[in-house]
Amino acid sequence: MKTAALLAGLAASAIFATQGFASDLFDRINAGRYQAILADCAACHTKPGGKPFAGGAPLQTPFGALVPSNITPDPETGIGSWTYEDFRSAVKTGIGKDGKRLYPAMPYPAYASMKDSDVADLWAYFQKVEPVSNRVVSNQLPFPFSIRLSMLGWNWLNFSPREFRPDPNKTAEWNRGAYLVNGAGHCGTCHTPKSLTGADKGDEALRGGNLQSWYAPNITSDTHKGIGSWSIDDVVAYLKTGANRFEIASGPMAEAVSHSTSLWDDADLKAVATYLKDVKGDGAAVPAPLAANDPALSAGKAIYLDRCSACHVSTGQGQASLFPTLAKAPVVNSSDPTSLIRVVLEGSQAAGTTAKPTTPAMPSFGWNLSDSDVANVLTYVRNSWGNAAPPVTAGQVKDLRATLAR
Amino acid sequence: MPSSFLSRRRFLSSTGMMLLIASAPGARAAEYAGALPWKPFAALPPDPPPGGRWYVFTPEEARTVEAVVDRLIPADELSIGGKEAGCASFIDRQLAGSYGSSDRLYMQGPFAAGLPTQGYQGSATPAGRYREGLAALNKHARATLGGKAFFELAPAEQDKVLQDFEAGKVEYKPAAGFFNLVLQNTMEGFFADPIYGGNKDMAGWKFIGFPGARYDYRDYVTAHNKPFPLPPLSIAGRPEWKTGDK
Repeated sequence: MKTAALLAGLAASAIFATQGFASDLFDRINAGRYQAILADCAACHTKPGGKPFAGGAPLQTPFGALVPSNITPDPETGIGSWTYEDFRSAVKTGIGKDGKRLYPAMPYPAYASMKDSDVADLWAYFQKVEPVSNRVVSNQLPFPFSIRLSMLGWNWLNFSPREFRPDPNKTAEWNRGAYLVNGAGHCGTCHTPKSLTGADKGDEALRGGNLQSWYAPNITSDTHKGIGSWSIDDVVAYLKTGANRFEIASGPMAEAVSHSTSLWDDADLKAVATYLKDVKGDGAAVPAPLAANDPALSAGKAIYLDRCSACHVSTGQGQASLFPTLAKAPVVNSSDPTSLIRVVLEGSQAAGTTAKPTTPAMPSFGWNLSDSDVANVLTYVRNSWGNAAPPVTAGQVKDLRATLAR
Repeated sequence: MPSSFLSRRRFLSSTGMMLLIASAPGARAAEYAGALPWKPFAALPPDPPPGGRWYVFTPEEARTVEAVVDRLIPADELSIGGKEAGCASFIDRQLAGSYGSSDRLYMQGPFAAGLPTQGYQGSATPAGRYREGLAALNKHARATLGGKAFFELAPAEQDKVLQDFEAGKVEYKPAAGFFNLVLQNTMEGFFADPIYGGNKDMAGWKFIGFPGARYDYRDYVTAHNKPFPLPPLSIAGRPEWKTGDK
């Protein structure tokens, strides 16, 4: 009798244990799914219109093309034969299965600061992703960059794996923001300027970077070039909906908002805003704008009134949620005008989010404005209504036009 | 049996037609979900043929049309004339395109007479009507005014020929219709965007105070009884876009 009761008890506890394990696993997979959103894995590893995580569209780096790998659990062409340790090593140190070295286009220098528990959740999630057989030849770099072992030297120069350490003098919210911005969120991958070897310039973190013919603006608290004049709510609204009262996400940031930040928890977005508002800019003095009688400005003003003011308004104020404000906008005052030239030439479409599904678009003016027209109108925009930034040259427009035509 | 009664034959043929329409391939609407479709560099810019040459008119036809447009819009203290404004070149380039060949009109018969309000209802294309009409114009001029072609006549004589054409008082039957066609196209050339060859330097728009290809006046709608301050604007821009020009 006693034995029977004991057996029954054992059976019951076994069921409990299984159920407990199952719900724990579910929580971890779900948490891992959220980590994949925070890290925006799909941005690179999912081809537009392709199967999730089965390999992405080629990334054009300054050194050549890299194709993001298949990270579904397919044993032949994905990461199905990997162990957790292989995965953790790839994500946090850039060394994949069998010691294969990843290129830092995979932002492992940022992911290095992720907590092991978050990476373990991510691993739990990726084991449950639909396996897709799709062989990807990642390394399409020219010699000598094609030698993966060269990343040994790169890592020695540029990479010191270190998990995030909270700053005890800051609030928990600030620390959560710092962890997200510099870790899974890998904001610096675009927004931090790069050295000649393509590594982050650590002492210029988040002060704006140029890649893939876009300029990711300064997102420090700089009030001229950065987002210092945005409130915490402005930052949260931008990341959550793709637009705030000043600005609308475009280009790669529109994709980052649509696929990633619009799906983040509000508390995490607020933490990010809190942290970004506390990141110092370069402290440089605000330059003086060009004189209003500069010939480029007179010509640029005529073009602006004829081609831009219908949406962006003659005072550069724009229209909230529809047309970005150009007056005192960080991207307008950036030293690097690449993104400005690009949206004028090829047009732009706003991020689509659940909150703002309209995706208003700017038409392309590449057919209508010459290189010097684009240069003059942008020089006018960059030196009006409180803006001040170096003039744009026709040569810059010509070069970018040629690059984009390829 | 009343004729409006649905006969078996009509019923069968109309049903058959409906079945044909229902099974027509390619009649599916495009469906979009999520973000609106968008492509970089998307634009359908106007693509007028470049000027500096005649596309349809022979040299004699070109001289004739230039003479006609300069009588319809003579140069005076108000504006330049139709010839200098490029109206003949505008008409030539239009005739070289789908307008001249009626490519975008239904051009199968029957060709009924139609009402005046319905415009031209015949089988000829505008390019054909110009070829025939200009020949008739010069033939009439040569026959009645000392063997001279239209463009060789004095302005007063040219006006007389045009008036006769307009009134249909010539041997050439379609004369009035031809006159109205040329008058219509000359006005189009004088006021169309300069990228199409006429309206040189937006002279037509400056003449009537038309601000051109603009589409936003919010800054000015409340400025009552004040002239609109900006000069006219072509699709291709305006001189003030260029550095140094004013």
